[in-house]
Amino acid sequence: MASKNSFGRDNGLQARMLFTIFLLGLVYAVLIAVLIAAGAGAVTIAIVAAGLFALQLFTSDKIALASMGAKEVTPEQAPQLHAIVDRLCVQANIPKPRVAIAQTPMPNAFAVGRSPKTATVCATTGILQLLEPAELEAVLGHEVTHVLNRDVVVMTIASFFASIAAFITQWGFLFGGGFGGNDRNNQNNNGFFIVILVSAAVYVISFLLLQALSRYREFAADRGSAILTGRPSALISALLKIDGGMSRVPQRDLRAASSELAAFYIFPPKVKQTVGGLFSTHPPLTARIERLQRLEAQLQGTA
Amino acid sequence: MGRRKLAQPAPDRLFAMSTAYVTMETSMGLTSRGAAAIVFQPLATADFESIVREMEEVVRATASDSGTTVTSSDDTYGFRWLVLRGSDFDDLVVGINAVSTALEAGGYGDRVLCAVFGFNDERTKKPVYWIYNYKRGAFYPFAPAAGAEKRDNEREFVLKAQIGKELPVEQELERWFPLWGTPI
Repeated sequence: MASKNSFGRDNGLQARMLFTIFLLGLVYAVLIAVLIAAGAGAVTIAIVAAGLFALQLFTSDKIALASMGAKEVTPEQAPQLHAIVDRLCVQANIPKPRVAIAQTPMPNAFAVGRSPKTATVCATTGILQLLEPAELEAVLGHEVTHVLNRDVVVMTIASFFASIAAFITQWGFLFGGGFGGNDRNNQNNNGFFIVILVSAAVYVISFLLLQALSRYREFAADRGSAILTGRPSALISALLKIDGGMSRVPQRDLRAASSELAAFYIFPPKVKQTVGGLFSTHPPLTARIERLQRLEAQLQGTA
Repeated sequence: MGRRKLAQPAPDRLFAMSTAYVTMETSMGLTSRGAAAIVFQPLATADFESIVREMEEVVRATASDSGTTVTSSDDTYGFRWLVLRGSDFDDLVVGINAVSTALEAGGYGDRVLCAVFGFNDERTKKPVYWIYNYKRGAFYPFAPAAGAEKRDNEREFVLKAQIGKELPVEQELERWFPLWGTPI
């Protein structure tokens, strides 16, 4: 159900996004269960489901852009940004998407839209200030790859199928399961409760699979950026800057660090990736950097 | 990722630089600036000072055969730089090792901070340094960029990839501490 594939890490935002997506899907699944329980026919349900799906597919990008306060910019307004996107699209051989800028100091970049022709690539003012040109190009290469791979459509369809999985479970229970007994009212009440429970469980499993799919596509976008720009190390550098955490290549002089005994005796504390693993839409930073370093080694012929 | 290596004593791993330099010169566009340094924290004891003096004499004696010069200076952090300059890169590596061996033999191994080798980068037309951390037994690249206390991270990652397994490279990026204002 992700309508945008964002680049940066904003843990609060990410948690909220995750929870929203999860709730949305659950509502979807419950709605269908209610429709079934209310005796709606298969056709009605199919029409409602298709309608919601189409709505999501065709409006999610506008909603995403509006929620970030992103405004489209012309080449005159943002020549450097447009030049980078131009180069990337020639390299990727896709029509140039719209370019937007969001006014926020939070460094981030994302792409929305279901096809290259209807896509918008957005960068925040925060990321434009933070990164060197080569690093910005690497980040936008990541986003352009999402557009190229039609990740928005893929993820929307995948999440739709997750809801379908829940739907089929409910259907199977009502028409295949059978609880015996002649008391139709009682059977409906018990059955209804169990149906909700099981379809929710099926949905949870599908959700976790969706997260895994999303993470895989993030790796693919990193790889795509490396291929488009030919500079995987620029992406590593950009990722570290955006992350801004302890995993950064340090600025502090070795002599200053050693004077504080940090380098000599005490290992610098490693910041664990707390929002990660099973419930993250992005792979952990160290995993992304490791893969990019491997790509660079392959490029240099030393892998 | 490569086979596991037995942890060798750190000084032996310094010598990997001699063979790695061949690769640097031939395929990485790095040429020696003819200078290498060992950086250590001096102690204000007579014992330490006499060891340093002895060691300087030894290095000067062996170095003069090959035309290598030795100079000593203190920096603003209170660290001492013993700078070896010469056209024979292998001699620089040997000289650096002689100094660290002498300090270790005197029981002052923990005073040694690092060794630094200076190179000219053909691609960026800027200096590039390979810093050897004695505690970690590993090298890491340091590419200062234009501007005050700026470094070219991208170039450093490329150099790391290019050197491959020729050098033991520090895997933890948060230990790639820079040395601002190196005198070599």
